[in-house]
Amino acid sequence: MAIKLELVNLRKEYGALVAVNDMSLKVEEGETMALLGPSGCGKSTTLNMIVGLETPTSGDILIDGQSVSKIPVGRRNVGLVFQDYAVFTHMTVRGNMEYGLKVRKVGQREINQQVEKMASFVGLADKLHRKPAELSASEMQRVAIGRTLVTSPQILLLDEPLSNLESEMRHQMRRELHRIQLETKQTIIYVTHDQIEALSLAHRIAVMNLGVLQQYDTSYNVYHYPRSTFVGSFLGNPPMNFIKGTLKSAGGQRLIEQDGARIPLPSMKELAGVSDGAAVTVGIRAETADIVPLGSPGSFEAELFAIEPQGPEAVVTAKFANTLLKVVVPTSAVPKGSGSIALLPHANLLALFDTQSGVRLMNGAAS
Amino acid sequence: MSSQGRVAARGFNPNDKKYIGGLLITPIQILLTALLVFPFVLELILSFSEWSPVQGIGLWEAVGAVFTEDLDQGINYSVLITEEPRFLEALGRTALISVTSLVLEFLIGLGLATIFLKAFPAKRVFFTALLTPMMIMPVVVGYTWFMLLQYTGPVNQVIGWIGGSQPELQWLNTGFLAFFAVVITEVWHWTPLFFLILLSGLNAVPQNPIRAATVLGASDWRIFWSVVMPSMKGIIIIAFVIRGMEVIKLFDEIYLLTRGGPGTATETISLYLYKLAFEDFRLAYAGSAGFIVLIITVVLINVMLRPIRYQLLEKR
Repeated sequence: MAIKLELVNLRKEYGALVAVNDMSLKVEEGETMALLGPSGCGKSTTLNMIVGLETPTSGDILIDGQSVSKIPVGRRNVGLVFQDYAVFTHMTVRGNMEYGLKVRKVGQREINQQVEKMASFVGLADKLHRKPAELSASEMQRVAIGRTLVTSPQILLLDEPLSNLESEMRHQMRRELHRIQLETKQTIIYVTHDQIEALSLAHRIAVMNLGVLQQYDTSYNVYHYPRSTFVGSFLGNPPMNFIKGTLKSAGGQRLIEQDGARIPLPSMKELAGVSDGAAVTVGIRAETADIVPLGSPGSFEAELFAIEPQGPEAVVTAKFANTLLKVVVPTSAVPKGSGSIALLPHANLLALFDTQSGVRLMNGAAS
Repeated sequence: MSSQGRVAARGFNPNDKKYIGGLLITPIQILLTALLVFPFVLELILSFSEWSPVQGIGLWEAVGAVFTEDLDQGINYSVLITEEPRFLEALGRTALISVTSLVLEFLIGLGLATIFLKAFPAKRVFFTALLTPMMIMPVVVGYTWFMLLQYTGPVNQVIGWIGGSQPELQWLNTGFLAFFAVVITEVWHWTPLFFLILLSGLNAVPQNPIRAATVLGASDWRIFWSVVMPSMKGIIIIAFVIRGMEVIKLFDEIYLLTRGGPGTATETISLYLYKLAFEDFRLAYAGSAGFIVLIITVVLINVMLRPIRYQLLEKR
């Protein structure tokens, strides 16, 4: 597939603050890319630079291989849907939807045709004469999306599209976005701070923190093979467990020791270059460890701390040395009583990070 | 329960919460009734008579006559509307001065407010300077422009510098020019208020719809007219209502500039009423004219408020 959008060392500074720090990535045509990160991480600034509302300090933005940095906002043919929808409240739904076409001096007959087609696509065919004040939040959102899509943008950018909706509506709108994604085959860039939204809608996720791109990969890899402790902790609910310790060897077996308690490590090629005594953090996703009988090979012991049943599965909290670990297990596997339990992490999904930098020792994903 | 029962048994108790509110507002109610409601009602009654203090008939006698004597009641109103061209002319003139001034004040105020949305050097100084005129007393403004617009005054002098020779402009003594003198003074005095209201309105316009229109490719000009101005509708109407009510009552500045002259060239309705009441002493007649103006003003303001009435009265 062709590369639709490419960011090359994109950088934005506000005085001394670096909002976006030399960000580079490529988005393929027809793909949905989520810019994910906590608020203030620079994701909205990135979005605004792609649209042209902000001018980059340095770096370049390419659409279809052509630099658009010099093209003013409004001429780049990219569409932006705002978090608060930003519908024109004094215009009807029709007025909103035909605005972009009128600006482009399309003939009125053509406008009517396209607006009506788009209105039925976003499910507002019978509400074209309504004013936004009479619409629900999700309808306003659809007005905003329709208003943008009707201009057939190269790229559709969505800024936190679901965060102003109630949870019921959020599910409905997520399905709606999924349908739009499938039916229009539009290249979509989706800004969110909600990892569930990113994981459920995006093909690729760019995780950002403090203006720096932390990881850019497929949704699967970002979740299962986080490249840093930040990515591991930001995605997943409950987040990834981190056990800080010292790397040691005993009888040919590498292990992590924390306050005398030990976790045996499976043979991992990542460990080859790391010598004993290094400060290492083990990362275990909550659903990638099983509760096994005490003494099982490869397992480690922890004290049962709390059990939170959540229907089909339960979150079991256990204390290993002085770290609380959360694992998600099927309700049938929940241990009874109290005392010690044995945990066996899935060897291929175990992650090792350098404690100092938080960077993964070696990327498990083939990249 | 029991304490309330005791109070009720003893009758009126000024400490009872029920009465406190009423007690506190009673003095001002009495004062306002004496100063506003009473004269208003009295004037309304008198406006149906032909009473003047110089006739030698007492005020109460005149009020009584309205109810008891078989006079041609309400003649004032029919005379004013059908046989008094000076009254109708003053009304028309007031309308013309009002509309011209308000439109100019709005356009200049809007232009200035738009400029003030962007940064420029010494913005704060210009801001203060721009607001100053509306803080000056009308009498002072009137006198200042009276001096400026004299035949040998600075305005003619400056026009002379630009045009080459001293113009022979009798600003305050030529009907047509006197009208403009009044408008210029009014615009100079009150554009700052429009500027201030419109600037605060422009600053309150939500930014995202503007950005959305920008991303959709609309030009600044188009955005201004299709997005910014419609969301300013309410505040623009309010500005016109506030200024409209004032400009209809325009008096002090004209009184100092031209006294309504030359002839009646700048005689507004306020000046006409003033002359009727305090130069001719036709108090009842002036009262009738005043009530006609009041009715026109009330109707006008309500018509102006119509587009935003729903918005203003909407329950939250």
